[in-house]
Amino acid sequence: MVGLSLGEKHFIQGGIAHDLRCDGRKRLTYRPILVETGVIPQANGSARVRMGATDVIASIKAELGKPSLLQPDKGKVSIYIDCSSTAEPAFEGRGGDELAAELSNALQDCLLGGKSGAGAGVDLSSLIVVEGKICWDLYIDGLVVSSDGNLLDALGAAIKAALCNTGIPRVQVAAGASNDEQPEVDVSDEEFLQFDTSGVPVIVTLTKIGRHYIVDATSEEESQMNSAVSISVNRQGHICGITKRGGVGLDPSIILDMISVAKHVSEQLMNKLDSEIASAEAEDES
Amino acid sequence: MIDLRMEYVSPEGLRLDGRRPMEMRQIRAEIGAVSKADGSAMFEMGNTKVIAAVYGPREVQNRSQITNHALVRCEYSMANFSTGDRMRKSKGDRRSTEISLVIRQTMEASILTHLLPRSQIDIYVQVLQADGGTRSACINAATLALADAGIPMRDLVTSCSAGYLNSTSLLEDSAGGPDVTLGILPKLDKVTLLQMDSKLPIDILENVMQLAIEGCKAIANYIREILLENTKQLEYRRGV
Repeated sequence: MVGLSLGEKHFIQGGIAHDLRCDGRKRLTYRPILVETGVIPQANGSARVRMGATDVIASIKAELGKPSLLQPDKGKVSIYIDCSSTAEPAFEGRGGDELAAELSNALQDCLLGGKSGAGAGVDLSSLIVVEGKICWDLYIDGLVVSSDGNLLDALGAAIKAALCNTGIPRVQVAAGASNDEQPEVDVSDEEFLQFDTSGVPVIVTLTKIGRHYIVDATSEEESQMNSAVSISVNRQGHICGITKRGGVGLDPSIILDMISVAKHVSEQLMNKLDSEIASAEAEDES
Repeated sequence: MIDLRMEYVSPEGLRLDGRRPMEMRQIRAEIGAVSKADGSAMFEMGNTKVIAAVYGPREVQNRSQITNHALVRCEYSMANFSTGDRMRKSKGDRRSTEISLVIRQTMEASILTHLLPRSQIDIYVQVLQADGGTRSACINAATLALADAGIPMRDLVTSCSAGYLNSTSLLEDSAGGPDVTLGILPKLDKVTLLQMDSKLPIDILENVMQLAIEGCKAIANYIREILLENTKQLEYRRGV
């Protein structure tokens, strides 16, 4: 928990009003983002993203499973977030579960699209092996190692980086199986297919403090927030999901204004992230 | 399985992963893995990778637990992706509770708790990758994190395991034979943790233990180097 004196609170609020925050950033500037890929060798793909003192790891595991009856032509993706107690003593025992559930839900909304799978960042039909019988189940696990605000953006970035790092084994389906039995499959351990990750959105959280809003809030700044809106935007500038947190109500016109700001910021973030991911991938391979 | 065991140490004296019986896996440590914590460290032994964070000494959270020595608490947790097969939620299961207890008792033995009355020290260890020897790796990481937090200790506790197979003692093995996990205070030459599963003749146990002690001492040397390097860095940054 952040303990701030009245003076510190005023200092943070005043700084934001003057477009100069405690660490010297402007309202719409991110902290430097560090991306490392391939950090968990056992996973199909993984990445670690650091923004200042916020540190998260995302890992992706693919398992063969059965598609659901309602959507026989689509694979399944699920996101689980875990808040490690190393990040904050308050997360000890079951203490982190509430935040973890909130983050998992927000990420699911932002990255996976609707219930039908339409509008998902990951193309679910590319996960199908045999229609109605076999598909890939993607398990996305996020771990918060250290938390200093803006966890959602960091997790979103880590998942994006991990997806870029993911290789799904090529699967050979034995021909000749009759229609009603489960076909035999041969999972290759040499050939891996890369994912199309161009559609994966980035998440921009705008935190409203006083009359202004900022991106990439630290935990001190987050403790002063009225409300926060997380907007996920993809390459084309389409909005893929919105979640609002925080107690205070927002004027609808402010939300629309926030969305246009988020769209603008997301372009820079997307470019920055893509170049970081590319250099991390190059380093991982060498 | 039997075949595997027979060939576990090849005629050339090499193990499956190419190590000699007395050889440890590659170890690597880093101080300051969690910037928000009072002390933190990352410790790797081969493919096992753990992070430890220390919060404290700070005010006791639960007032009924105030005593005239420091209260040491520990929580061990494994990440969902740490094992080969994905697993779901293991917080608070029996194994983690047992390991938390082992780590707490081992660390408590070296912390000078009487110097920090009415305070609490929290040690959190998080396993990122599990590939055998998580217990030892956690203890080593916790030692580094405690040292980084500047908590007074008698000595740096270090831990290492050793096994026994086909009449050879093996340092850090996971082949399923008897496994002795040892934690020592290397300078005081005292054992603070000793765990063994399955059975072993007493005279052989002595050998295996001796090997584990050597391993612990090697780790202690490495940890000392890392701490020294870290202190030099701090000194340099201060401009002394």
